[in-house]
Amino acid sequence: MNKRSKRDLAIGLGFLAPNILGFLVFTLGPLLFSMFLAFTNWDLRLHNMFKEEPLRIVMLENFSRMLDDPDFWQYLGNTLFLMMSIPFSIAGSLGAAILLSQDTGGGSNWVKKRLVATAGLVFGLSCLLMAGADSSAMTILIGGLAGLILVGGTLGGTTVYRTLFFLPHFTSGVATYILWKKLYNPSTGPVTNALRPLLDGVGSLVNGLPPGMVQGGAWLCALVMFLLFFLGTRSLAASWRDGEMGGFAVLIGLGFMALPPVAAISWFVLPAALWLIAGGSLAALLVLAAQVLRGREYPCRSDEGLGNGIMLGAVLMIAQFGFLGLGNVLFGLPTMAAAGLQTPEWLTQYDWAKPSLMFMGLWAAIGSNNMLLYLAGLSNIPGELYEAAQIDGTTAFQKFWHVTWPQLAPVTFFIVVMSTIGGLQGGFEMARVMTTGGPAGSTTTLSYYVYNEGFTTGRLGYAAGVAWAMFALVFSVTVFNWKFGSRQVND
Amino acid sequence: MRTLFLTCFLVLAAAGLATWLTEPDMSSDVPVLYWATDPNPARIQQVAEFHEWLVEQGHTTADGKPIVELRLETVAADYKGVIQGVSGVSADIIQCSVPWYQSIGLLADVTDEAKEQGFGIDQTYPALEPLLSVDGRQYGFPCNVNVMALWINLDTFDKLGMAPPPPSWDWDTFERIGKEFVHKANPAGERQSVFFVNKFEHPYMIRAMYRSLGVSEFNETMTRSGLDHEGYARTLARIYKWTYVDHIAASAAEESAFSTESGYSGAGLTLFHQGHYGMYNIGRWILIRLREFKAPPRVAVSHYPYAEFPNAVIGTRVAAVYAATRYPREAKLFLAYLASKKYNMGIVRSADALPPSPEYTQIESYTRPAAFPHEWGSHEIPAEGAETIAIATSVSPFVPMATVDRYTKKALDEVMADLATPEAAAAEAARRIDAEIQLTLKESARLRARYDEALEVQERIDSYRKQGRKVPMAWIQNPFHRRYYLEKGWAESE
Repeated sequence: MNKRSKRDLAIGLGFLAPNILGFLVFTLGPLLFSMFLAFTNWDLRLHNMFKEEPLRIVMLENFSRMLDDPDFWQYLGNTLFLMMSIPFSIAGSLGAAILLSQDTGGGSNWVKKRLVATAGLVFGLSCLLMAGADSSAMTILIGGLAGLILVGGTLGGTTVYRTLFFLPHFTSGVATYILWKKLYNPSTGPVTNALRPLLDGVGSLVNGLPPGMVQGGAWLCALVMFLLFFLGTRSLAASWRDGEMGGFAVLIGLGFMALPPVAAISWFVLPAALWLIAGGSLAALLVLAAQVLRGREYPCRSDEGLGNGIMLGAVLMIAQFGFLGLGNVLFGLPTMAAAGLQTPEWLTQYDWAKPSLMFMGLWAAIGSNNMLLYLAGLSNIPGELYEAAQIDGTTAFQKFWHVTWPQLAPVTFFIVVMSTIGGLQGGFEMARVMTTGGPAGSTTTLSYYVYNEGFTTGRLGYAAGVAWAMFALVFSVTVFNWKFGSRQVND
Repeated sequence: MRTLFLTCFLVLAAAGLATWLTEPDMSSDVPVLYWATDPNPARIQQVAEFHEWLVEQGHTTADGKPIVELRLETVAADYKGVIQGVSGVSADIIQCSVPWYQSIGLLADVTDEAKEQGFGIDQTYPALEPLLSVDGRQYGFPCNVNVMALWINLDTFDKLGMAPPPPSWDWDTFERIGKEFVHKANPAGERQSVFFVNKFEHPYMIRAMYRSLGVSEFNETMTRSGLDHEGYARTLARIYKWTYVDHIAASAAEESAFSTESGYSGAGLTLFHQGHYGMYNIGRWILIRLREFKAPPRVAVSHYPYAEFPNAVIGTRVAAVYAATRYPREAKLFLAYLASKKYNMGIVRSADALPPSPEYTQIESYTRPAAFPHEWGSHEIPAEGAETIAIATSVSPFVPMATVDRYTKKALDEVMADLATPEAAAAEAARRIDAEIQLTLKESARLRARYDEALEVQERIDSYRKQGRKVPMAWIQNPFHRRYYLEKGWAESE
């Protein structure tokens, strides 16, 4: 290296030195120390500058204790449950980005549409006011908000809409949580007030129908569950036959799809319908087995098409769970409607505390950095692809499915990886501010558990162990995503 | 862009310089003591009076100024104090839980100074002894003393044409009066907006209820949880009934339906003032807020309802001296100040719970403050309770109290959410507490030795009880059992 190069290197390192030093002292150092802590029995009560108890290296004891700790499993379950909103928030961000990438400012057509919509809103509100809705704060709130958006869009174009979408993301976390506590007020909150008329309407409708008719919906849901499983299995069999999916990919997809029927054994309120689900699932598996026995013409490696298998299995799993839940609701609806359908108590009700936090998270996540990434990704899609699709006479959905979605694969991959990491690590702030982890630990996540064990109880060693277990989980999921997700992206 | 960047940089630099130049001078010629306490506005006055007291007592420099300057440091959470303490950067005077902090080793022993300077345990309520000392050594002195009770809005009862509740009552009387109250206060067919009492969540009230059935969190030697007892399950069941069947107490959802928290002590006191609660579970410091209202309500006090054994829970905001303080002598002067007439009269005037020294609850300024006649008749109950029926929280050296509170809260939550029967919730809470005890013992040979000794004593106690013999009081560590055994005649007096 010549003198000039050395000088350049020294200058570069000089500029980087503060950052490197800060990283070593404030990030790497504590990281390594916490790794050491995870293998010790460090307890604030016993090991501090005032005590002489010896610190013990306990090796994997903290981790084995974790496996036997029911709290750890409950809070891991809470964390994974809260992560179920991630696919919806990604879909929401994509939808928001597509909407915001429309040219709403140019041309008189959009302005005209907005003016008409604003006029319609004003007319509708006037009618409501004349009909005596003037004291309804909810009406004024929604009407005013909608009017503001329409007028703002007319004047400011897409910039106004983008700001409105992004607003939840850059609002201070604690302020947002306190705001949502107000929104979730079980008596006077806007969420409850908006839901109440809807529930009253549904209740009246259900009360007017024969109970058997409503409860028959549970059978219908069971039938749909069977159909979904059957169709999914048939699709997997066809992909296997055509060499698009390997054996491992098929098994993974099947595993996901099998979860709802298995869960239905203990969760479904209609035991008789379980025969339908079980019979149908068995039939589907026989179809798959028959295909496997027939063999295939186009072999492929066993993890071929793993991404497709996971996506198909996951989507059908979620759909089946949705129908499972709907079936349970429909079965119990006549009884609930007879007593009057009540809105949930949201944050103070065990079954609704987690979903309440999920809805709030979804609201914040739709307009987050994910939306910005998708906006950037959309702007990078070559226009010629859309022109070619236009020439071929494709519909809007076909353009999205065959052009937009594949082109956004790298962005989606990145968002999925980052959202998964964030989901596994998060949930502390909102639980601490809104619910303090309750009721009965239903909103305590792993990160909150680390805080409780470390600082409230003083068991820093065990808390560090839980934190590193979280890291191992995040790392495994990320490696899995990178290994199979990136292959899917490249394909 | 470069111009913009440079402009921003210059503005920030100028702002930084201006801040530095205008920053108040925090230097001091005398040692500075920091007092970590809660963010109560009354502390500012107390600090000023401490400086005056130093001068009055002759603790001055050559030019007549106090020999030490006291400054406030507000610490909202207990764990922050612990982290600061173990890191060596704690305040000199800490508001803390003595058993918990002493177990970590953060507190200085003040026994000898307490005797010399007159802030020994004999200067305050005897029931506070377990909260101020460990193994016979004193570590702190109360800033104030608290006996939680049910504060009654007499105006609300008058509007309904009902006599106020009695100062002492059993569960059935509480339930009967409560049902009558909510029936009269809430029109039929409308959403309930008036409750007999606010939400059952404070551990003191729940503790007093199961203690009234002879149950404690721990056994006599604190070596095992005592909650796997039918009395604890009965308590949980009763709370559930009062909340969801009789609707005399607000549920979590009903309480959150009113408003979010705001201000010191929250919005609950506003609801109490407005008559949404007939009674409010709180300490004497309720008066600090009530006195701020333009038309404060007339108030009275009732102790918690009991099943068989009337009792209350006594607590205290303790001031203790940090073990590694640079100014131990000066810090201990502060504890002496807490026992002084000046400080006690300040508490009497401000109604910030009970003064540390019981004698100040007998004076007219306390019982009948001239400016607040609507409070007359209410001050005696908490003071009398502190000297007669109040018992300190039982704190085991083998498990942190925060862990015990976490499991008892979870038990209550599970019962209230219909996730567990009271019996199952009680058994699970006891099991988890016992598991935590074993975990602690695994880590500390010293505590294990102490535990084994205590276990032997426990076996002797159990044997004596089976034989119907009186148990020597010295064997019993649990403050609840010490009182309960005396009440039942099961123990030899000391």
